[in-house]
Amino acid sequence: MRRYSIVAILLFGLFVPLANQSCTNLDEELFTELTSDNFPQTDDEFISALGAAYTSLYGLMNHNALFSAMEVSSDEAMIPQRGADWFDGGQWLRMHRHEMNPNEESILGGWNFCYNGISNCNRLVELFEGLVESGQVSASEAAGFIGELKTLRALFYYWLLDVYGNVPIVTSFSSADAQPATVLRGEVFNFIVSELEANVPNLTRERNGQTYARVNYYVGKAIEAKLYLNAEVYTGTAQWAKAAAAADEIINSGLYSLEGNYFDNFSTENAGSSENIFVVPYDQVFAQGFNLPQMTLHYGSQFTFDLQQQPWNGYCSLQEFYNAYEANDIRRDGPVSRGYGNFISGPQFESDGSSPVIDPSAEANDPDGAQLNFTPAINEHFPNCLRQAGVRMGKFEFAIGATPNLDNDFPIFRYADIMLVKAEAALRQGNTGDALALVNQVRARAGVADLGALTADDLLAERGREMFYEGWRRQDLIRFGKWTGTWDFKPASSPNTILMPIPANQLNANPNLTQNAGY
Amino acid sequence: MSIKHSVTYLQRFLLLVLGVIAFGSLQAQTVTGTVTSSQDGSALVGATVLVKGTTTGAFTDENGKFSLNAASDATLIVSYVGYERIEVPVNGQSTVNVALASSESTLDEVVVTGYSTQRAKEVTSSITSVKAENFNQGNQNDPIGLVQGKVPGLQISRPGGDPNGAFTLRLRGLSSLGANQEPLVIIDGVPGANLQTVDPNDIQSVDVLKDGSAAAIYGARASAGVIIITTKKGLPGRATMNYSGFVAVESVAGVPSMATPAEFVQYGGPDLGSETDWIDEITDNAISQTHNLSLSGGNAQTTYRASVNYRDQEGVAINTGFQQLNARLNLQQRAINDRLTIDMNISTTNRNSQFGFNEAFRYASTYNPTAPTAQDPNSPIFTNYDGYFQQINFDYYNPLAILEQNINEGNLKRLLVTGRANFKLVDGLSVDAFYSQQRTNELFGQYYDKQSYWVGADRNGLASRTDNESFNELFEGTLKYAKTFGKASLDAVGGYAWQEITFEGFRAEGGNFLTDAFTYNNLGASKDFLDGIGSVSSYKNNSLLISFFANASLNIDDTYFLRASVRRDGSSRFGANYQWGIFPAVSGGVTLSNLFDLPAVNILKLRAGYGITGALPGESYLSLLRFSQQGSFFYDGGFVPAFGPSRNANPDLRWERKGEFNIGLDFELLDYSLFGSIDYYNRVTSDLLFNIPVPVPPNQAPNTWGNIEDAVLKNSGVEVLLGYKFKRGDFSWSPTFNFASYSILLDTTGVTGSDFTFFRGGQSFFDFSTSPGAPGLNSDPSVIVLAGQPIGSFWGLTYTGVDENGQVTYLDLDGDGIAGVDAAGNVDDEDQSVIGNGVPDFSLGLQNQFKIGNLDFSFFFRGDFGHEMVNHYRIFYESPGGSRSVDNILISDFFNPDLKSTPLFSSNYVENASYVSLDNASIGYNFPMKGSAFTNLRLYVTGQNLFYITNYSGFDPNVRWADTVDPFNPNPLAPGLDRRNTYFRTRTFTIGVNVGL
Repeated sequence: MRRYSIVAILLFGLFVPLANQSCTNLDEELFTELTSDNFPQTDDEFISALGAAYTSLYGLMNHNALFSAMEVSSDEAMIPQRGADWFDGGQWLRMHRHEMNPNEESILGGWNFCYNGISNCNRLVELFEGLVESGQVSASEAAGFIGELKTLRALFYYWLLDVYGNVPIVTSFSSADAQPATVLRGEVFNFIVSELEANVPNLTRERNGQTYARVNYYVGKAIEAKLYLNAEVYTGTAQWAKAAAAADEIINSGLYSLEGNYFDNFSTENAGSSENIFVVPYDQVFAQGFNLPQMTLHYGSQFTFDLQQQPWNGYCSLQEFYNAYEANDIRRDGPVSRGYGNFISGPQFESDGSSPVIDPSAEANDPDGAQLNFTPAINEHFPNCLRQAGVRMGKFEFAIGATPNLDNDFPIFRYADIMLVKAEAALRQGNTGDALALVNQVRARAGVADLGALTADDLLAERGREMFYEGWRRQDLIRFGKWTGTWDFKPASSPNTILMPIPANQLNANPNLTQNAGY
Repeated sequence: MSIKHSVTYLQRFLLLVLGVIAFGSLQAQTVTGTVTSSQDGSALVGATVLVKGTTTGAFTDENGKFSLNAASDATLIVSYVGYERIEVPVNGQSTVNVALASSESTLDEVVVTGYSTQRAKEVTSSITSVKAENFNQGNQNDPIGLVQGKVPGLQISRPGGDPNGAFTLRLRGLSSLGANQEPLVIIDGVPGANLQTVDPNDIQSVDVLKDGSAAAIYGARASAGVIIITTKKGLPGRATMNYSGFVAVESVAGVPSMATPAEFVQYGGPDLGSETDWIDEITDNAISQTHNLSLSGGNAQTTYRASVNYRDQEGVAINTGFQQLNARLNLQQRAINDRLTIDMNISTTNRNSQFGFNEAFRYASTYNPTAPTAQDPNSPIFTNYDGYFQQINFDYYNPLAILEQNINEGNLKRLLVTGRANFKLVDGLSVDAFYSQQRTNELFGQYYDKQSYWVGADRNGLASRTDNESFNELFEGTLKYAKTFGKASLDAVGGYAWQEITFEGFRAEGGNFLTDAFTYNNLGASKDFLDGIGSVSSYKNNSLLISFFANASLNIDDTYFLRASVRRDGSSRFGANYQWGIFPAVSGGVTLSNLFDLPAVNILKLRAGYGITGALPGESYLSLLRFSQQGSFFYDGGFVPAFGPSRNANPDLRWERKGEFNIGLDFELLDYSLFGSIDYYNRVTSDLLFNIPVPVPPNQAPNTWGNIEDAVLKNSGVEVLLGYKFKRGDFSWSPTFNFASYSILLDTTGVTGSDFTFFRGGQSFFDFSTSPGAPGLNSDPSVIVLAGQPIGSFWGLTYTGVDENGQVTYLDLDGDGIAGVDAAGNVDDEDQSVIGNGVPDFSLGLQNQFKIGNLDFSFFFRGDFGHEMVNHYRIFYESPGGSRSVDNILISDFFNPDLKSTPLFSSNYVENASYVSLDNASIGYNFPMKGSAFTNLRLYVTGQNLFYITNYSGFDPNVRWADTVDPFNPNPLAPGLDRRNTYFRTRTFTIGVNVGL
């Protein structure tokens, strides 16, 4: 019997660890992610952490996000229903007709895009403030980073102010109100003003490789310029002089200038453009999200540009808008060497330049037949817009062999825009001469004759031609009082549509939000 | 606990095994005897003799004799099919002869209840046990297929005939919104074991723990039920050898009813001059074969069973199928007067799969039927696509080229090793140590040809390899106690378990190859990696589950039964303050027929139970704020990785809990000829795990994994199992009928406001889960989860007809004058309503077995009733005037040649999908083998999936329990969607042989 007890002891040996605390230890072990216990620690890791605030911007140009809402609701872009394609619940038809409702995907997408960026900024501001508190970093060392993050945050709030108007303001990551309440548009404006005033002066005025695609002093000034340019829309009180002053700081810095060739601003390798003030540094590998070839090009265009994926044939521009360019305006159809301008129009050929692209699913009633031909004329908005109808967005160069993620950097703030801001502020303050000079500089570069006189409508039209598909058209139409008017396939709309609705599921999730009027 | 500690366990275990070998020479008392029938004294061949409280046992030989080792005070349990099981004390004798009285009761069968076994008559919960002799016949490649339709309440569905496809399992409907929906599988004691570690030929029984009181012993993972698979073991006696093999022929039985070339042209399709039946082009009759060889036997100390299974399975789609070799060894060794028992099971599986591409089914259905398969040699693009005909169109690809040019393969390896040592401490008390290790390794390879227009040509060849590995290690220690006190007997188990599951893997994908010669085997030759656009990733994650558990069963005079269990589970997946949960259960039963003299009633037992079970979230680390790479940051002239939050953290993440009440009645009537059971259950699942929409701001991401506080899921239903046995002379007939009803409701009683909705609005995940999809319908909701409504409700406009312009008309539900769609094309939200439900109301199964002498015949009908299905082929391809002219047209019973509307989801596409199928019919002959060297020889022919009776216009009305538009993330909240990527339905005929030596 005693020998058997050895077996029993052996078996009980298996139970001994029960007494050991490790046998009830459920701590999680991470292998492919970091936590605040081990990140960030080194200098490189702090840079990596800071990067998350900037990579938040990469969603800007996504289909169904902020840019889609801003562009399709304007008179420079539309997504018609092409038979069985692109109905998608009617959201793009509604957006273009200003009949948008709180359920639109792009309206939610834009909201989430902005607050995702704000959340990253809040978290990182707290991180750097914590480092100062714990004495790891000196206050002066941290101030630059904190100023940069708060200015970037102000840009996200600026988009919210412009598009949604009345939005909650959250400035903390760890101790934010679980259901923050709506703040009125005027207060959001004041908040951004105070943030910029407090932080922009601390930012570097350098413009070099280190500040490329980063927020420097002049990015802060560009936000200010846009903020004050639209102050009347936002607050009821115009602030043209302040807009002009901010633009002047950029212009007078001498750091920026007009590129000789308009399209150099939008080429695949446009990082060197002297007009770039602030860009999203899109990259086909590292900074993905600029999906324009998919969004606008026809299926058959895959062979024109040897694209790595078949495009979706959605976004196009309007005939009226296309026709608002003079025929010799280089911006419309581009130089021959480029083959297309702001728009891709006309018969399409494969990348050899000679074989026509054939579209076997061309509708029987397509007057141009089966060869792919992007016509400015669009037969109808829905339901049976011809699949080849509408000129396409060619402003950003499509590199031969491009992936769905373009390499072109996207300019959020561009020098020519700031010149036109200055021009507009001057015009509004009665200084037509200065305004005309600036506008004619921009026109001269496009190869069109100087204007002899300048009206508000002229300026809006010039802004449209120059700033096509850079995300400003919606704001410009509102500021010039044209938003509620009519254009191709858009009836007159209600003034309440100047603000987009607050997304329905945010209202569901947060009872302290208030819907904008009229939705 | 770290991995280091678990290695220590393994070392101790091995030490123990060595210790056992040292003591192995000790002998126990040998008991021999004969088992006979009490009616005629004939010897019973193959009767089971077990030493009570152990796994020691033997079969009787051809003379009814047995021999085994047992302690002098042991009790033998003797059982034989069709006879009453009895217990005989050894009382120090060396010879024990037993005469068994015949019995027709099915309640003498042994049921596996988790950490213990019970006789069916002792069971107080809802447990269905299916033994090997009742398994589904024919070509069964998945263990679960063996019991499809046999267990009331267990829904097993696999639409289409994909040889590599897995079954979807649901027990009593949907048990959760966002947590795991599939029952916990336990193979020979290993919870969470992979079904592919066991070959269907090696399975002895499948036991399904259905209600909360039965499943609660598995606590945190048991809310969706528990399926216990027990493999065949060897028993002492004559060594036996069995071979079984079959050849199966599978053919296409259900496809979309597309227009013929002539009809296609008639309705305006472009005539390209050929006639091609694309569905026929990509399919072929599939020939499959399976061979199984098993050896088993043993002596008083050692028993073994070894088996080898080979399966070569073709799919009906060309270039699909798999080849699988599985080998298993189950060993048991006893020592120290049978006080120590060591079990070792080893199973290894190696499968090579050819998956094909399910997209081919859609393109085969919609491609222009007048297009040739091969390109005209004079065409300018003849050389472009390996000579395959291609037309440059959106989402339009030659399906034959897809399946012939490209490769989608995988090599799957599974290894399951278990070891168990049981030592009897004193009479009735034993200690048990169990260790298991399961390793799975899946290596996939895909290659898209340089000339493949679909994918590949635009990348100049595209290759990927994906490796997924998992490692599942379990240590378990239990104490078992069994004692009889007069007329009462007590069985109790208590234990501790520690289980760690680790997943890891990598993936690389790159294109731009010089040649197709390497396919996916030489990723280094992809120029994409040189160009910096190749993609590489790897991952690893793990989770821990630590458990303390106990259960006790009391049997008083085979009349009163009581069982209680409790499990305390701790999981690393929850917030630090919420890791531990307690899952108790209690159940009881009374055999009324022992208390009252009921005419014609042999057995009548009433039982009831209540138990609490839990569910885990689908992934680890959700409670923590984690940082992962969020793109790259342009810093100082170059890109550096940017690390930001992976998702919102929820430090309050906690268990989902399900409370379930079950009441049931087991009965045997009319001299045991009529038997069955009836169960009613009522479940309430609270603290539902879900990726909940949260306010942004302050949250960074729009959804957080958390527990829903203002809604519960309520399930209820009735299950009936009814059998009858008729026997006259050589003829017997045994029909079995089962029925299960379902009700699944999202209840928000007590919550103010009724706008508790998921999926309204345009959340990003919504596009890809519950809309019909591209083209054009990415944003049209087709399924909605609404408070107070059943799960699985379809949402949309009500179709009323087609007007004179060929436009669909809809019901103006709110009477605002806009009938469904306004002039601007907007859907009137107020005209939308619930227009159907994808979950069946009830399911039926009917098995009939006939025997005449050596000939047997069986057939099995299966059906689901009351569910609707959305026929996605109809949505997109039914309108001659509204679809793309290049797409073929679907000509179903609903076809209207005048329809010109562009597709829009409505009740028009929601169809009643109730069906009955002849799932299985089999005829077999057992050759008389008396006097030959063989013990048995059986030949049989089986037909599977023979026909469907249904009004559903699609080709497969089987219930879609989850939406598979994204096959890697099935969405259980959107059942009933018949998507366009479904493998065609098939029919199989099998001819097979079983030989025993």
